[in-house]
Amino acid sequence: MSALTFTLKSQPKFTLDVSPITPDNLQNLTLDKIKKIKLIYGKEKVKVEELFAVKGNDKNEIIINKSCTQLICVGKKMTQGSIAVKGDVGDFLGQSMKNGIITIHGNAGSWAGNGMSGGRINIEGNVGNYTGAGFPGDTFGMKNGLINITGNAGDRIGDRMRRGIIIIQGKAGDYCGSRIHAGTIIVLGKVGKHTGVGMRRGSIILAKKPTYISATFQSCGNLKMQFLRLLFTQLSNISDDLIFFRKYGPIAHRFAGDIARNGKGEILILKTLTKR
Amino acid sequence: MKINGVQIEDTFAEAFPMKATRIIITAMNLKWAYQAANAIRGFASSVIACGIEADIERELKPSETPDGRPGISVLIFAMSIKELEKHVPTRVGQSVMTTATTACFSGLDSEQKVSMGKSLRFFGDGFQISKVVNDRRFWRIPVMHGEFIVEETTGVTKAIGGGNFLVLAKTARQGLMACEKAVDEIQKIPGVITAFPGGVVGSGSKVGSKYDFLTASTNEAYCPTLKGQVESALDDNVGSVLEIVIDGLDEESINEAMRVGIRAACSFGPAKGIYSISAGNYGGNLGPYLFHLRKLLK
Repeated sequence: MSALTFTLKSQPKFTLDVSPITPDNLQNLTLDKIKKIKLIYGKEKVKVEELFAVKGNDKNEIIINKSCTQLICVGKKMTQGSIAVKGDVGDFLGQSMKNGIITIHGNAGSWAGNGMSGGRINIEGNVGNYTGAGFPGDTFGMKNGLINITGNAGDRIGDRMRRGIIIIQGKAGDYCGSRIHAGTIIVLGKVGKHTGVGMRRGSIILAKKPTYISATFQSCGNLKMQFLRLLFTQLSNISDDLIFFRKYGPIAHRFAGDIARNGKGEILILKTLTKR
Repeated sequence: MKINGVQIEDTFAEAFPMKATRIIITAMNLKWAYQAANAIRGFASSVIACGIEADIERELKPSETPDGRPGISVLIFAMSIKELEKHVPTRVGQSVMTTATTACFSGLDSEQKVSMGKSLRFFGDGFQISKVVNDRRFWRIPVMHGEFIVEETTGVTKAIGGGNFLVLAKTARQGLMACEKAVDEIQKIPGVITAFPGGVVGSGSKVGSKYDFLTASTNEAYCPTLKGQVESALDDNVGSVLEIVIDGLDEESINEAMRVGIRAACSFGPAKGIYSISAGNYGGNLGPYLFHLRKLLK
């Protein structure tokens, strides 16, 4: 069995909704039928074969080659298998996904992981705004799952998230973890202003001290947090690309808040790489 | 059949189905993990009056525990899930949560589960925090030593209780020496425990009693002081009988534990006061698991 590979023939002029290309949707289709699937391309519907060269037969392992930011809704609602994308992707990556793994060997647009409730998204590049956040009008953002961003992230990461883990190995923008109901956001690089503003519960873990922290967060002092030891050990067990978490120790400066919202969340600022 | 001159009786141990869970206790160091583990296995020798049978299974290296700290795995057995549901949260709450620096995790992954943190979280009085990592839910309960971390549930599996053998010795001292060695060997087998104090039963029981209110009473056939009074199973040489009771997660583990335990006890031989090995059974009416001594020692 070889991976089912979709190679983009040329860069699309308009946004291309590739949400039908998931292991779930292709499971019972022949290669010919897959080529005939219609995708929403701008205002029109076009067949897969007009835009992609398709080969392979393993529908649980999908590869999209030569991708670009015009491709939106990659892996939407997927519940199984894997999608690997070589190149950048647009907005709504992994929207409402429930299980499976999406790996982007490039950058991703905004709203990645919007409404996701399980599975894992790896982005080996930068990501736009509102990663793991809910749409305006949604009660919650992401409800479970793991988003691992190797590069930098934009603003409003995890806005209103309910559960799950977002790891940003680079920098994060302003309003990181704003209004979160629960869940965990880890930022290993610098973070912008207004981190955790309006958070109810949840944990925002920062490896670097932020230049600005809201007055509505109360210092609880430097503490040895056994939870951090558990979290880092569990994350390092997930896969080899997260094994670096073993070097992080449990000592952190804890800020509780956001008291403006009677919140019981926390911002934990790690105290260097401590011995475990 | 004889091993090292010790007579192996042609009989069998009769065991019965139980339910079991494995919990992992971690702490700042092994000393404090042992404090919690010893507390949880206290008064957990027999389901007859304790509700559960529990004992330490083995020490765990930091690389084997969920939080990367040294730990101990404890096996807990009960007659039903309902009994486990009743005893596990209370024991974890009173014995583990109260021990400084500890955390408690599930050591078994299964469909059936009993609650741990699910019940204990309320101790946090509203300040408890739930965290889902790797599809496992943990509770962070703020306590005076810092935070007590406990997994929401622990898995339950089918298990077997009551594997046993009797060591018939000249004196209690000699019998105990043989039993200590047997228990040392049994403890090396994963998935089994010997829940009685020191792994040895000094007062083995039979089912029932002349008193209606009692479900178990002394096994007079094996009491040396009653040799002339009742239909005794002991000959004149035997002055003490000690029992080793083994609970295990599966039949093969108990087989192996009985095999190594009996061989260790027999290594003392008649010269050191060990005369024969027997086993406790109820005529095959109690449980579906029969461990024939001669068969398992072949």
